[in-house]
Amino acid sequence: MKKAIWALVLAALALWSAPAWAGGASEAAGSEPLPVGAAFPDVSLGADLSPEHRAYLGIAKKSGPVRLADVSAPVVILEIFSMYCPHCQREAPVLNDLYGLLASGGHADRVKMLGIGAGNSAMEVELFRAKFDIRFPLAADQNFTVHDACGKVGTPYFYVLARKPGETAYTVVGSRLGRMDSPESFAADVLADAP
Amino acid sequence: MNQAQPWMTRLASRRRAPLYRILLTALPLLVVVGFSPAVRAEEAPAFTDSLFQASEPLKAVDSVLAVKVGDPMPDFDLPTIDGGRVRRTDFVGKKKLVLSFVPAAWTPVCSGQWPGYNIARELFAAENAELVGVSVDNVPSLHAWVTQMGGLWFPVASDFWPHGALSGRLGILRPEGVAERALFIVDEKGVIRYIDVHDINARPDLGALITALRGVKD
Repeated sequence: MKKAIWALVLAALALWSAPAWAGGASEAAGSEPLPVGAAFPDVSLGADLSPEHRAYLGIAKKSGPVRLADVSAPVVILEIFSMYCPHCQREAPVLNDLYGLLASGGHADRVKMLGIGAGNSAMEVELFRAKFDIRFPLAADQNFTVHDACGKVGTPYFYVLARKPGETAYTVVGSRLGRMDSPESFAADVLADAP
Repeated sequence: MNQAQPWMTRLASRRRAPLYRILLTALPLLVVVGFSPAVRAEEAPAFTDSLFQASEPLKAVDSVLAVKVGDPMPDFDLPTIDGGRVRRTDFVGKKKLVLSFVPAAWTPVCSGQWPGYNIARELFAAENAELVGVSVDNVPSLHAWVTQMGGLWFPVASDFWPHGALSGRLGILRPEGVAERALFIVDEKGVIRYIDVHDINARPDLGALITALRGVKD
């Protein structure tokens, strides 16, 4: 009897929470996210990253265009966003909170955050960064090149990528579409997913 | 002590009740709250599902411009979704005007264009410019669409009746009766200074528009 009641309660909670989760994203037609375990493409991060952001990603000595493989961290939280996406606009302060949590928890060297502005020009990405005082690096993807390589996902979309010592390519170890429940729970999930 | 107890005391007295009784009481409430339209409207607008998806890309541009840079902006007087009106004469001698025409409410590219302008208000203000969105949809449809996307800071005007009259005078009315995805900058004297009749299937770069706006000097 108790098991049946618990099952009913869990089912009700799932029905209750599912629409809220789905509502926190701009979904994309034809989206095919890369599955967990897939190798993540070595996408371009452009040439516009600031010296401060290059230092954060561990590529301070590299000038000009950089790629994902240049990043030195073993774990990367990569957000596909758009300046035009209202959900991404609402999520921006939460991501700054996540950045702060990772830093205060002593994970800043191991886990890096990175945003890719799908279909956004450099000016549009800069407007988004300035408007929300985004603290982690953002790269423009005006022609949707990275977005296409990442499975034409909706926004915001989060890939958690990990790389073992000696490897150059990142592997997908977690992903999700839509706004996170909280930066605390998301950070806990990332740290649990990443080896 | 038999008189009615305060509700907190009564609640505390139920701590000894079996857990399943409490859960059985809460279950209907959870289900009702979960499917409450009010909650779903705030937390989970089915906005993406509401958008019309064209089966294939449209012809990039399907009209012939009737004005050019240097021409005076034709007079217009259009209703807005907040119950007001927007007129060319509201801006002449006062402010620059940016008109953003989109083809249709409830379509994907259009729904992904104006929300971006929502975080760019200061950029328009810095150039002494007002932004006005225009579509040939009627006022109620535009109102519902803009409300569903979370609202906009700039006025949204309807060029519905006479159908597409302003769009037609500018030469951006397509054969199927919708406007092109087009941007016009009009200076303080009422003269058109910039025109971008964009590929209807793609969102114009805000950077190009702001750069053009900054280039409009007396």
